[in-house]
Amino acid sequence: MQWIIKVDEGLARLSNFCGWVACVAMLLMAGNVFYDVVARYAFNEVSIGMQEMEWHLYSVVFLFGIPYALRTDGHVRVDVLYTLWSNKTKAWVNLTGALLFVVPFAYLIGLYGYDFALDSYSLGEGSGDPGGLPYRWIIKAVIPVSAFFIAIAGLNMATFALRVMSGEKQYEGENSAGGLA
Amino acid sequence: PTHALAQDTFTLTLAETWGPNFPIFGDTTKNMAAMAEKMSDGRLKIRIDSANKHKAPLGVFDMVRAGQYDMGHSASYYWKGKVPNTLFFTSMPFGMTALEQYAWFYYGDGMELMQEVYEPYGLKSFPGGNTGVQMGGWFRKEIKSVEDLQGLKMRIPGFAGEVFAEVGVSPTNIAPGELYTALERNTIDAVEWVGPALDLRLGFQQIADYYYTGWHEPATELQFLVNEKVWDKLPADLQEILRISMRTAAYDMLIQSQHENAKAWASIKNEYPNVQIKNFPDDVFQAMYKANNKLLKEAATGDELAAKIIKSQEDYLKDSRAYTDISERAYLNTMGTVE
Amino acid sequence: MIGMIMFAVALFMLMLGFPVAFTFGGLALFFGVFAEGMDLFAFMPYRIMSVMQNTVLMAVPLFIFMGVVLQRTRLAEQLLTSMGRLFGGLPGGLAISTILVGALLAASTGVVGASVVAMGLISLPVMLAHNYDKRLAAGTICAAGTLGQIVPPSIILIILGDVLGLPVGDLFKAAVGPGMVLIGLYIVYILIMTRFKPETAPPMPEDSSISRKKEIMNALLAIIPPLALIVIVLGSIFTGIATPTESSALGGVGAIVLAIIYRQFSFQMVWDASKDTVKVTAMVFAILVGATAFSMVFSYTGGDYLLEEWMLALPGEKWGFIILAMLVIMVLGFFIDFVEISFIIVPILAPVAEALGINMLWFAILIAMNLQTSFLTPPFGFSLFYLRGVAPPEVRTIDIYKGVLPFIVLQVFVLALIVIFPEWFGMSSSY
Ligand code: NA
Ligand code: NA
Repeated sequence: MQWIIKVDEGLARLSNFCGWVACVAMLLMAGNVFYDVVARYAFNEVSIGMQEMEWHLYSVVFLFGIPYALRTDGHVRVDVLYTLWSNKTKAWVNLTGALLFVVPFAYLIGLYGYDFALDSYSLGEGSGDPGGLPYRWIIKAVIPVSAFFIAIAGLNMATFALRVMSGEKQYEGENSAGGLA
Repeated sequence: PTHALAQDTFTLTLAETWGPNFPIFGDTTKNMAAMAEKMSDGRLKIRIDSANKHKAPLGVFDMVRAGQYDMGHSASYYWKGKVPNTLFFTSMPFGMTALEQYAWFYYGDGMELMQEVYEPYGLKSFPGGNTGVQMGGWFRKEIKSVEDLQGLKMRIPGFAGEVFAEVGVSPTNIAPGELYTALERNTIDAVEWVGPALDLRLGFQQIADYYYTGWHEPATELQFLVNEKVWDKLPADLQEILRISMRTAAYDMLIQSQHENAKAWASIKNEYPNVQIKNFPDDVFQAMYKANNKLLKEAATGDELAAKIIKSQEDYLKDSRAYTDISERAYLNTMGTVE
Repeated sequence: MIGMIMFAVALFMLMLGFPVAFTFGGLALFFGVFAEGMDLFAFMPYRIMSVMQNTVLMAVPLFIFMGVVLQRTRLAEQLLTSMGRLFGGLPGGLAISTILVGALLAASTGVVGASVVAMGLISLPVMLAHNYDKRLAAGTICAAGTLGQIVPPSIILIILGDVLGLPVGDLFKAAVGPGMVLIGLYIVYILIMTRFKPETAPPMPEDSSISRKKEIMNALLAIIPPLALIVIVLGSIFTGIATPTESSALGGVGAIVLAIIYRQFSFQMVWDASKDTVKVTAMVFAILVGATAFSMVFSYTGGDYLLEEWMLALPGEKWGFIILAMLVIMVLGFFIDFVEISFIIVPILAPVAEALGINMLWFAILIAMNLQTSFLTPPFGFSLFYLRGVAPPEVRTIDIYKGVLPFIVLQVFVLALIVIFPEWFGMSSSY
């Protein structure tokens, strides 16, 4: 049991790291868009590179955010029955779902996402627009990297479910957005 | 994937860059598929998937290359970021007219050079239909000199955007869904799209008074892509049927474009008297012409194949234009004096 | 047929309570691999990429960020409670304020995920704190947040313009009337409903130490700063300083400036707001990614052709056609994404409608109203999921489902009005 706890906490650290990356990207993105508007309006300056950077950052926000939200149980559930269930039943739902749905789904996206990014790398793909960003493979590689972390977060969901089953942890208060609103 | 249904029957899948029922562009693929099926007596079927299905309008090159689709319908210059030399097979600023360019493709070196570019990627490329001269774009202010272009915010992608940038324009990215609002509210000053038939749908005539004539895409040729392995698997008669279907559909698109644009332009003239047709002033054209030559020179340096293609196009244009001058141009000039 | 079975299974699986996004994704995987083989998933990176490059969706994180900052600095609460105070002893003041703020947001974005989540963050906690009925609160927010799809600028209208070949400007103009009527009806409904059941929406407590006049003055003063922010966002769009998407970034930065002015600013606050934003954004986009896998399997297993076949069986007589077409779109909207409906169904209906002499602009507005409703209809209405994602645990999915019902009825009512009295909305049914 001890090792499960260790694994669980280790995996959680990886998801939290994703969250950190996404948060930084979020603030940079807001600043980037704001800068682009001001530069265009006040100084009549437009940079397609900066405009493309906007969607690069925005992609990082949600692709790294997804594994982070898995760990923090931020993904929405239809809770018509879920809230009525015991911790044990919830743990079973989460364990099964994590292993049957999350991990294989992430695996396939990672597998094909890797080819997708590799292809872009081998072509030396860049933006086709004037002043656009080079190295398109970097942003495309975020897809398989995100898939890897989603798989990690899926395994993490499973380890957490095991901890709940053993009675050492509980789901209460953790489900849904954690009282965000 | 190729599904061999009966021994000698082939169903090919085709991914197009356009949405379903996109006029003119989308008609071309449907035309092609219908001809191929009929001429082969049902042995060659083509299933067309539009952008709403595959969700990758600009992924057609990759998907056909990887064999996820057998064929594609798109435009060669979209792949410029991946393979720079694909740029030359759509239309070049101050380049050939549709008639001249088709002559270059089929009787000059066009097809061979295009194949040389696409071959390393396991692809065959064919002309896929022409829009004719594309309009120079919708402007909210009149352009009277090069000064008026300085800092002008314009939605103009690709190589033409680079030429415009050279003369002081700020090319700007705007999501297609926000283009209308952006132009209406002066977030941007100008929009380049296609020509009357397709521009009309976006409603730019309601919000911009100046419609400039084209120079940047005098003959935009679309493109059929075929995965080479798929092509090789087809028996010789079906290859020929496919080739003829593609060529006929492409030609048909050029004349359909002429027809639809003429119709749309007549309706814009009638319903939107605010719209004025303008030519860029001579000094603007000259500056852009210079910028274009400079960029072409840059593209040719250090890339043998690019240099070869550019030279082929320049040489062909020279001879071809000399004849166009004493035929089409002379005739249109004559008409200008009697009307 | 596989697509249809998949929907039925999804309906059942969602009830088990596993995250919606991964239920969609996991089922897509099983059905997709079973029917077409693993290689079908080679399309997934392209689909994810198309979400990444859809810059209009950037409004989602940016608007959420604005909402979170306004919520964390309590400026949102101040805005809504002050607006609620203006209604004096009248019940339902907060709900009406929510509709009004939602209408303003609707005019600045056409992305439902952005406005529903932002409205959920801004006004749900306030309504709950003032003892509003959970269902009324949830229904009001979903309805107000979904207004963005009919009030221009709107993604539905832009897509329909493209599919039907109508100028976007004409569609935008035609949609203003129906949008206004809808907003008006929401307010009327809340006024009438709360008259009979005042306990579901208690009025703001009156401060007896000051006069009513003074109270109104205070409320107006308190409204100004946060309202000014929203006006700046809107203003930046109308003056062309920013595109609708970019305006949401101005909103976020503006919210931080307000926080500084009100001495609520700290770097920790900004960092925490960013964390909340990331979590909620991830929730919204995970659903989009799961749903795109789902619709991929649906269409590549022939679901799109099946729908086409069904559509071709519609009657060829004007009123029968209109009524059945609207019914079919509404029922499909329970299950299928509005984008798919616009691209698969509408092109089949359009030539029939045209042949029947139906005015296409009118037809487009009918479809837009109808599709807007699909965001609210259980079981797969995205607005419902989005709100659930930011709601506290005590607001359950079933509360949201029940809460939106009256608003769905109102939308259908307005749809019927446009069908029967097009001239009230400045349109005609035939040309
Ligand atoms: Na163009
Ligand atoms: Na809107």
